[in-house]
Amino acid sequence: MIQERVQVRYNTIECSGYYRMGLTCHSDYRRAKPGQFVMLRVVDGMNPLLRRPFSIHRLIRSSAGAVEGLEILYKVVGTGTERLADCRRGDGLNLLGPLGRPFSLPERPAQVFIAAGGIGVAPMYFLTETLQKKGFDISSCVVFIGGRSKDDLLCMNDFFAIGVKTVNITTDDGTAGEQDVVTGPIERAVKEGRPDVIYACGPLPMLRATARMARRYDIPCQISIETMMGCGIGACLGCAVSAAGGGDKYLHACVDGPVFNAADIDL
Amino acid sequence: MAFESEATPDLTTNIAGVLLDNPVMTASGTFGYGREYSQLVDLNRLGAIVVKGLSLAPAKGNPPPRIAETPCGMLNAIGLENVGFDVFVEKKLPYLKTLSTPTWVNIYGKTIEEYSTLARRVDGVEGIAGIELNISCPNVKVGGVAFGVDEEMAFEVVRAVRQQTGRPLMVKLSPNVTDITRIAQSAVDAGADALSLINTITGMAIDIHRRRSKIANITGGLSGPAIKPVALRMVWQVAQMSSVPVVGIGGIATAEDALEFLIAGAAAVQIGTANFVDPGCAVRVVDGIRKYMIDHGIGRLTELIGTLET
Repeated sequence: MIQERVQVRYNTIECSGYYRMGLTCHSDYRRAKPGQFVMLRVVDGMNPLLRRPFSIHRLIRSSAGAVEGLEILYKVVGTGTERLADCRRGDGLNLLGPLGRPFSLPERPAQVFIAAGGIGVAPMYFLTETLQKKGFDISSCVVFIGGRSKDDLLCMNDFFAIGVKTVNITTDDGTAGEQDVVTGPIERAVKEGRPDVIYACGPLPMLRATARMARRYDIPCQISIETMMGCGIGACLGCAVSAAGGGDKYLHACVDGPVFNAADIDL
Repeated sequence: MAFESEATPDLTTNIAGVLLDNPVMTASGTFGYGREYSQLVDLNRLGAIVVKGLSLAPAKGNPPPRIAETPCGMLNAIGLENVGFDVFVEKKLPYLKTLSTPTWVNIYGKTIEEYSTLARRVDGVEGIAGIELNISCPNVKVGGVAFGVDEEMAFEVVRAVRQQTGRPLMVKLSPNVTDITRIAQSAVDAGADALSLINTITGMAIDIHRRRSKIANITGGLSGPAIKPVALRMVWQVAQMSSVPVVGIGGIATAEDALEFLIAGAAAVQIGTANFVDPGCAVRVVDGIRKYMIDHGIGRLTELIGTLET
């Protein structure tokens, strides 16, 4: 966990309202794991006050393999991300990370489904890339990308580029791929061949549907959730998440998550 | 020798009989149990650590959403989620005892009996420098603030706790009152050794599209730079009438902020919400205060406290 002043390497429009930002970072990020996040101050001043959490989208490496930076994907949704969208190459920002519990990877070769809704694709590229580095057969990995409209679909080509053979596309309005929610094609694929694990990240209704479906078919499912977050390190306790079955205490997205076993939390 | 003493000014300050190396404490509820920050902050450089508010039994806290951002500030209604006093002593305190920085425990109860029992328990534990008595949390339905907004109840609870403990006793005051000096006087009359203020200011924020409060508890406590002027005014008022040291809290994020509180009469300060934004804040405030003292030829912090010209 490092707090540091970093520089914007690039900040480019991915598609309407979505940006891809590269940041310099400490070389210790080589130990960062997929599913982990960073807390970024979007201004040096006090308004907006709080840091914003972003999943690590991927690590930027030199040709020799050393970590030279990291990339985040973000959607402009409010004051903080509007400020971020204004950043230019060379601007300084304050970065805190890497934080949180990552995805746990299968121990043996496994059939992996990856489900991403909208900006929920952010941690999934890092995950896929890491699976590939660990020797998993990425061509058997199936990626499901959903969004409201064709402009909310990100990174399809990036997945193909690292060797994923099947990327399923769905949109709510039918402007690209199939007009359905992302869980539609996932369930059909599950019926054809049960995967060993489903990784999911996206809006709450999508995670809820994915978790429910995974439970129905008894498939291990790990989900990365997004909540309001104050500190990112377990001090403010602002990011409470209900544990499955109620229980006498809350979990916290920043230190117990943001990746949870779907069965452990009450969405 | 004169040069040397100017170069290394004396930042020590005495709060309720506890000598702090410097006047910068971390505020309860913003610094966990200390260890959360250990990878980011040299904890031995802090004046003191005040841990998350503790109750006798573990407390689950309020349902989410618990926080919302507001201009230059944030609202929270965490609801005093904590591990409970016994778990604190068993699991959290051993680490804090390895530090040279004194640990203050912030305690709260739902009844005077709970407050008393907790105070008695603290009295039997090594490694706790002092008690900060929370009579001012706005986010729990019973206890907490109920004691902090009524002079007689404040007096009763502080007196009851005082009878149970010989430990330094600091009472944390609520700003959600008409005249904070009257509650302050009650706490001092009942035996408080120090006063800390302010706790958060009750506030709200509404999501206009859903027509719901942005936090599940509906109301929450406002903190951050937005509240600093209010906090400073209250610290100044209380410092003028109080016979015990006052610890200033509220929106402090820079050494300049802290210096304002010291000049207004605070003998120490607490950094709260700024810890979330910038974990290195408290240590930078210490360095900034030292630099100010050197620049202004102030040898001892006590020469600065309460020196507001009026």
